[in-house]
Amino acid sequence: MPIQRIYTCSRDDAEARSWLAFLRRRGFPQLSDLTIERVVWLEGSFDANRLMPLFVNPVYQTAAPASALDPAKGPIVEIGYRPAVTDPETPSILTAARALGENGIQWARLTKRYQFFGVDDREARALAGRFLFNKIVQRILSPNESVRALRPAGEPDPVTTVSLSELSDAELAQLSARRSWYAPVSQMRVIQAREAIRGRPHTDAEIEILIQSWSDHCYHTTWKSLGLLKKLSEATARIDHPLVISSFKDNAGGLEFYEDWAITLKGETHNFPSSIAPFGGVATKHGGVIRDTLGFGKGAYPIGGTTVMGTMDPLMPEDEVPRGSLHPQLILSESVRATSYYVNPMGIPMMHALYRKHPGYAKCLALGHSVGLIPKQYALKDDPRPGDLALLVGGETGRDGIHGATASSTQMTTETLEKESAAVQIGHPITERRFTSAIPALRDAGCIRSISDLGAGGISCAAGEMGAETGVRLNLDAAPLKDRSLTAWEILLSESQERMLIAVPLAKLAEAQAILNRYEVNYASIGEFTNSGRLEAFWRGEKVVDLEMSFLWGACPIDPLPLSEPSRKLNPLCIPEPVTHEDWSGAFHSVLGHYHCSDQSAAGARFDSTVQGRTSVGPYGGKNHQMPSGFFAGAPLRGKNYGFITTLAINPFYGEIDPAVMAKLMMIEAVTKAVAAGASYRELALCDNFYTPPARPEVAWNLTRMVETIADFSVELGIPFISGKDSSSGTFEMAGRRIDAPLTLAITTLGRVPDVTRLVTKDFKHAGNQLLLVGHSDPDTLGGSVYADTRGQRGDRLCDAYTASSIRDVWDALLELHSHSGYVSASAIGEGGLALRLFEAAYGSGLGARIDFEAFERVLPTPTKRPGARRDGLVFGEFIGSVLIEVSAGFDLTDSLQSVPYVILGEVITEGHLILTDGAKTLWQEEVAVLAEIWSRTFREALE
Amino acid sequence: MNPAFVAILYAPGTNCHEETAAAVERAGGRAELVLLYDLAAGQTRLESFQAAIIPGGFSYGDHLGAGRVFGALLVAELAGQLHKFLDSGKPLLGICNGFQVLVEAGILPSRSMGQRDMALVDNQSAHFEDRKVRLLVSSARCVWTEGLVGTILEMPSAHGEGRPLFPNAKSLPAKHVALRFADRSGRPTDAYPDNPNGAAGGVAGVVDSKGLVLGLMPHPERASLPAHYSQDGLKIFQNLANWLDRRAFATQTSA
Repeated sequence: MPIQRIYTCSRDDAEARSWLAFLRRRGFPQLSDLTIERVVWLEGSFDANRLMPLFVNPVYQTAAPASALDPAKGPIVEIGYRPAVTDPETPSILTAARALGENGIQWARLTKRYQFFGVDDREARALAGRFLFNKIVQRILSPNESVRALRPAGEPDPVTTVSLSELSDAELAQLSARRSWYAPVSQMRVIQAREAIRGRPHTDAEIEILIQSWSDHCYHTTWKSLGLLKKLSEATARIDHPLVISSFKDNAGGLEFYEDWAITLKGETHNFPSSIAPFGGVATKHGGVIRDTLGFGKGAYPIGGTTVMGTMDPLMPEDEVPRGSLHPQLILSESVRATSYYVNPMGIPMMHALYRKHPGYAKCLALGHSVGLIPKQYALKDDPRPGDLALLVGGETGRDGIHGATASSTQMTTETLEKESAAVQIGHPITERRFTSAIPALRDAGCIRSISDLGAGGISCAAGEMGAETGVRLNLDAAPLKDRSLTAWEILLSESQERMLIAVPLAKLAEAQAILNRYEVNYASIGEFTNSGRLEAFWRGEKVVDLEMSFLWGACPIDPLPLSEPSRKLNPLCIPEPVTHEDWSGAFHSVLGHYHCSDQSAAGARFDSTVQGRTSVGPYGGKNHQMPSGFFAGAPLRGKNYGFITTLAINPFYGEIDPAVMAKLMMIEAVTKAVAAGASYRELALCDNFYTPPARPEVAWNLTRMVETIADFSVELGIPFISGKDSSSGTFEMAGRRIDAPLTLAITTLGRVPDVTRLVTKDFKHAGNQLLLVGHSDPDTLGGSVYADTRGQRGDRLCDAYTASSIRDVWDALLELHSHSGYVSASAIGEGGLALRLFEAAYGSGLGARIDFEAFERVLPTPTKRPGARRDGLVFGEFIGSVLIEVSAGFDLTDSLQSVPYVILGEVITEGHLILTDGAKTLWQEEVAVLAEIWSRTFREALE
Repeated sequence: MNPAFVAILYAPGTNCHEETAAAVERAGGRAELVLLYDLAAGQTRLESFQAAIIPGGFSYGDHLGAGRVFGALLVAELAGQLHKFLDSGKPLLGICNGFQVLVEAGILPSRSMGQRDMALVDNQSAHFEDRKVRLLVSSARCVWTEGLVGTILEMPSAHGEGRPLFPNAKSLPAKHVALRFADRSGRPTDAYPDNPNGAAGGVAGVVDSKGLVLGLMPHPERASLPAHYSQDGLKIFQNLANWLDRRAFATQTSA
């Protein structure tokens, strides 16, 4: 089919201006100008003129059959997706072209031509390679490239068999590596033994399915070996919380809401793809965790999301970046672009966007959450019944993400960046958005018996899990393909995004089809559920898979993992205490300007936080709408004030001092953030997301201690975990050097509140009100703090001040006080200590605060009451579990606070200043506006 | 008499239809969600509605330009129905992506369907901007902002392509400017981020010369409930409800 190109230019191109400014800041100051020409490639027979209204708005765009760029004026680099990657725009172009009466159009692709001025050809290619494209999914087109076809074509490889019989362990290991299976030899041996029993070798498709299903990513072999999955689910079972509807069984956890509704929570990491191709990796991170919500029960609707990224220092010098790793600045900026690209079109409000850095995040942390809403009656799945159809819904199946699950289960090496290119793809949010609208309609019409998303392991995993109790027979020829050259195992294993598998009762098929047609969702019936107890697949007249479900889900060997207590080399902090005004200023500036404490709205404000019209307290609040709120609250039932609240705690530093204590503190921090706002801890549930290096004996020991700690603590607190996810692949290896991710645990809370308008925000409300710190404060526990990190130190003591019962006392006291409207602003202490909270509350209100050390020291516990107790420890100590509250001047506190420690620190003042005093003597005073300037600079500089 | 239903017209990628319908209902109107697919298939007709709103989102992924595909489909498939609807003097509102659709269909600012005389292009920052904005209601004739002239409306704004451009770099005649981004003191502003997209003159809402078709980038439906930080947006939907009441009354008395 003939191919035509249409070159379009814009007379006002903000994207080109933005790249120009960015590239000039990032090492190419000589770049004097940059032009972007966009090229539409169209294949088929059609009248291009009739399509022009699609490609140009004549008010600002022009189109031509040839490029308007003059190559003599500056180097031109043309970038497009690799042939196997579908452009996100292609389906929209085809739909619109057909509506305009041009049915002869077969396929469409897009490329961009960047022309650079003021740099030579070599520099142009260098900057394009560094910033403008990712070679894993994109490529530079050569100037005279002749393209014969736009749509991937070709013939598939035939199905082959792979015999393992008589291979030695070493040969099994070699085979596993050569095929990119990354399977332990123990698994290879089980398959080898099975082959002997069946008396015939497995097909490639069968082995691929087994290996994939038994990968750590899918089967959680590490956690199973350590008995950790059981620990958490048993703890939740013991708590037997009346609000928990579903925990650890489904794609997300479910909690009872009000009026016959349930809310759901799930968090997922997507670290490996995000490390090698951050844009595609982070986009699909969001797509995947959103599908977990859609795949909860009989289909929940996503009503909130998060993004959490951990990288190395984005400002690190280029030559310090480990070879084989992308520059952390690129990972950061591409991840922000990807979150905006995916989540905004999905129409899901951003609840929390957090960015953290640690030298161990060479393989980055990429975490996302999704909260959902579902009628309670649909919160539990049914098992598919024999005769139900397996309906594949959404995008076409392509060669995307082949071996994604096994690759993400393994550690990252310098070679992975090249080798596993197929494991990353570009997300297509519009495809997911279409079925996000259709699924509730299908569900309410009774068309969904069971539903699951397709993620790791693709069709094989989703169908295999859904049909585990029955059996399933798949007809692979029915699967719509992006690329006709896919062979059977690739169709089965493909991790093409934006697909769901639905078990539809046969009698409901016509209704389901009508609904999907109305929402313009593509679908295909790819098989049916059976009572065979087998996973069977047919392709081109051949039975290519025949596995017993009992073998697939019951035979995976779990290798024992040895544990060994690591020795910790911790050094006490050595930080001189601030004395002079300048000392204090320096300390405040470095803490408020620390990456973790700084204003991250340069990223956060790129994500829609109010879509769906449910947002009550968004990520940014206060009078100026620029103060980090510390929690998110929405009113999901239209016209009702019933609220849901979410909070998040993560800290990459604490685990270096004590992983188990870190785990406990993350629980306390996350819950306290919700309680401070006025949410009852009795109506909260938790989600855990671990990111740890592969389970060497020391890591396994730490991991076990962390999980045991949170499981036990959840029982003591009576707050259940309802979902979670583990990734045990946080290691980057290069030429003999290993970089381990810090032991990372993110704790998320999801809870309900009877009246969302009664939640209390952080910003100060009235000058003259008293400021209290409720809870313990220990000035000698600066270990792991941001303050210590600003001095390049970690320390040896965390502020581990609470038992389950003593922290519950603090929470109960706060809730009691809240029930009388006893406080008007509140914020839980976290990273950056009291200093950050005072600053944020002042910044968000236009008011200020005066803090008196003398008052503070009057009530300190005796050991620290000694002369010389660190005052920087009071201001910057991270007293996790303690809360800063603002109380009307005359309010009687004695009843509510009699059983918990508290101190009246000072007061809110009219002047926009923060002031530290020692009795009548002012130690330090600075304008909030000046502090805000420092606070808002750090992250922006890293991102932009 | 038939109840005055308001069509909330949506397409694949639209994602603000439910809250927009909820805001109409809270203001006292009656909303019905209408899929573009159903209109194109003849399942329902635009004429059977008294007013229509195209809500926000990313219709067809915003591919090729925000609102471009939806706008082209409106012109290709529904021009006749739309003409009839507009010629009968019914109000039409485009919010965010809906505004972009009306612009791409040529309906705003000058009802020249299929003939575009305006564009909403990338924000000056070249990325999506999620902000809380203040809108100053100007004196342009507009049923949607009646009685609000000179007031400030606070509501969220969230878009990546909201900066108006006009042919030959001209500016828009004042009679078409319904809303402007305002600063803290209530004055129209070009300054970021009070004006999040860099619109010249702070233009945030555009109305046709009959005062019936309004397009605005910010989201009134997200500021319409006690649980929201502001309820100013509700006023726009209340104006619609009042207009529909008056029209129903006029029809009744004339009949």
